[in-house]
Amino acid sequence: MNEHHENRIKQLLQQAMPPVEGDPEPSRDPWPAVLRRIDAQPAKPAGVSWSLFDSALLAGLVALVALFPASIPVFLYYL
Amino acid sequence: MNTHPYLRAYLAGTFIPTLVLPLLLTFVVIRLVERVPIPVEQALIFPMTVVPLLWGLWNMLWLCSNERTHLPLGLHGAVLPLLLMPAGASLATCLGVLKIGADDVVWFQVAHVPYALIAPMFLAALAGYYLVWKYIVGFLNRLLGIA
Repeated sequence: MNEHHENRIKQLLQQAMPPVEGDPEPSRDPWPAVLRRIDAQPAKPAGVSWSLFDSALLAGLVALVALFPASIPVFLYYL
Repeated sequence: MNTHPYLRAYLAGTFIPTLVLPLLLTFVVIRLVERVPIPVEQALIFPMTVVPLLWGLWNMLWLCSNERTHLPLGLHGAVLPLLLMPAGASLATCLGVLKIGADDVVWFQVAHVPYALIAPMFLAALAGYYLVWKYIVGFLNRLLGIA
């Protein structure tokens, strides 16, 4: 590859990638802002969320067991 | 962890009944020490053999059918008592653990359950299974990478 070809390639590359106008460096370090945004996002729930319906079911189950303790061994039999 | 999903589903399904087993075995120890005339050993056959097996197979069935049915795991688990309760009651009757009387049924010779209480207990079992499957088995399925 002679010097003419090198210059030609350099010229084509410069045409394909025009120089960034202005200051190519950001005015400040953006990484702390990224970290702040990550921390500010609410954590996603690990699994399914507890609902009011489930609370009612659990309350009914506990009430039945409390009112009729004889049901405890029967429930254990099926677990 | 992409291999053997059905084995992992089985293990996740048997987790809860396996945890309950040591609790049930304490009844055997109490019976042996205190010489309580309750047929605990016969009563343990069902929860020690059938229940863990069915829980594991039921979770495998959910894994197998979930792509087609999209049935939530809690509802899938709540269907299981429909199979377990008649099977358990039949086996308990055969083994003398459950006696059917005129006004009530007697479990383990001590726990008298009136007939009027059977329907609420059945509904409570459905609710309990729904919650256990939705939260505990679901958590284990997610932990083992199959949900």
